[in-house]
Amino acid sequence: MDLRALLNPDGRPVLQPPAFPAADSRRDAHALRLEEAHGTTVIAVKYRGGVINVGDRRATANFAVMYDRAEKVLPIDDYTLLAISGSYARAMEVVRYLRHAFKYFERSQLQPMSLDGKLSELARVIAAGLPAALQGIGGFIPILTTYDRQAGEGRIFFYDGMGARFESTEFGAAGSGSLQIRGVFDYIVKTRRPFHEMDREEALREALLLLDIAADLDAATGGWSKVLPLAKTISEEGIGDVPDDELRSLVAEIDRMNQRGL
Amino acid sequence: MGYTPFDFNEADRHRRDHVEDRLREGSPVVGISFDSGLLLLTVRRSQRKVFEIYDRLIYAGIGSQADIEAVRVGSIDVAHREGYERSPDDVTAQRLVGFALSPSLKRLFGDQFNAPPVIRALFGELGPRPEDDAFYVLNYDGEFEQHTGFAVLAGVPEAEDRMALWLVGVGPETTREQALDRALKAWAVGAMESRRRRMSAGDEEIDPLLDIEEGEQMAGFLREELKTGVVEAGILDRHTTRESRFRLLAGADLEPLLREYR
Repeated sequence: MDLRALLNPDGRPVLQPPAFPAADSRRDAHALRLEEAHGTTVIAVKYRGGVINVGDRRATANFAVMYDRAEKVLPIDDYTLLAISGSYARAMEVVRYLRHAFKYFERSQLQPMSLDGKLSELARVIAAGLPAALQGIGGFIPILTTYDRQAGEGRIFFYDGMGARFESTEFGAAGSGSLQIRGVFDYIVKTRRPFHEMDREEALREALLLLDIAADLDAATGGWSKVLPLAKTISEEGIGDVPDDELRSLVAEIDRMNQRGL
Repeated sequence: MGYTPFDFNEADRHRRDHVEDRLREGSPVVGISFDSGLLLLTVRRSQRKVFEIYDRLIYAGIGSQADIEAVRVGSIDVAHREGYERSPDDVTAQRLVGFALSPSLKRLFGDQFNAPPVIRALFGELGPRPEDDAFYVLNYDGEFEQHTGFAVLAGVPEAEDRMALWLVGVGPETTREQALDRALKAWAVGAMESRRRRMSAGDEEIDPLLDIEEGEQMAGFLREELKTGVVEAGILDRHTTRESRFRLLAGADLEPLLREYR
């Protein structure tokens, strides 16, 4: 007799990646598409000393605003943030799964999971949702950001819908508003300076400005007239929330710019 | 030849003697709940002894290395399965120890075809306030006790009694520094008593309320022990903003505590 077997007589796995079955028919898939909540725009940029993640607070279902206080930038462990766009239900389950999977590894193996291991795990759960995503339901695209303590810099990874993983040198964006602002990132990098050379405040201001432009040009992305946007950083010290006061004053600065008709 | 009640008692007695003999060698463990967290402290020579089980659960054991490890991994499995399938809020020491570990250890201990588990374990659970913290001491035969405020683990019951006397008075206002100091001294009390019991082979009667030789004798004992032993202190932080509440205190955190024993 062995303790592990006694503790788990049914032999259930400790953690199973969230299953997300495809719909049985095209009609079901269509109905689900209309009901499913979606996260809109999330942005990640580097700065000198780490990475900043910002996101609007909106979750939409078809043409309805489902929720205006959505948390779309979520800590997975002390140095990893997942910014999510697309299917809210699936993204939340994936976040719950990854939190447990990374921590389970670290607690049981007494060493943190390698960055490569974490990135592969995320690719696997994205790929597992593919059959449903092909029907237009359950698809989600994350941006994974982390602080590389060996290299002493922030890192940004983005994915496609099949789980292909790419590393970005400067920035990443996902969600409905991300396409509209794609070129603005390049313009900032080429005319001002690369994000990783900016200090925290400058990078944060640029990121919020990008979010504001996304809200302007994308019908689904929410503005900040009611609720402040989300902003989190990862640095040597781990994950930090940008204080509300700082956010409020940067947002007000951008609003003043908008009021001048710029 | 039949199996009589006498045989059962005899076998049970032999198994208990065997386990308790082996536990005698164990280095005591002290658990204290203090204002900003919960602490488990021991002094070790070889293997690491204080472990994180789940978000708010911490564990240490004495006994056979393999059994300590089996309980550790089994607990991590149970906690993560439950936390992922239900909610992290539902993972409590009460459920883990009372419903999972205790019955399993009882079965293992009663299984005459296998060597009995050699372990005595301490689980600490961090609550939102110090009053909500809980400790569970789990015995090799599945028996367990719940404690609040503090709890101790040693290879001989007399050592545990003395350590507990030494710890009376720690409470919600105890600071981390005070808790570390009390814990290390309680460890010394337990280790000294365990050694004395081993030497006298438990034959002669020693008054359990005999004054604990304080001051110089304890300091001398600690100075001697800490030449070869390492203080290991794991805490669960009540107010952290990090994802993980657990951390092992590193050299700099322990420096003020250890300075006087160099």
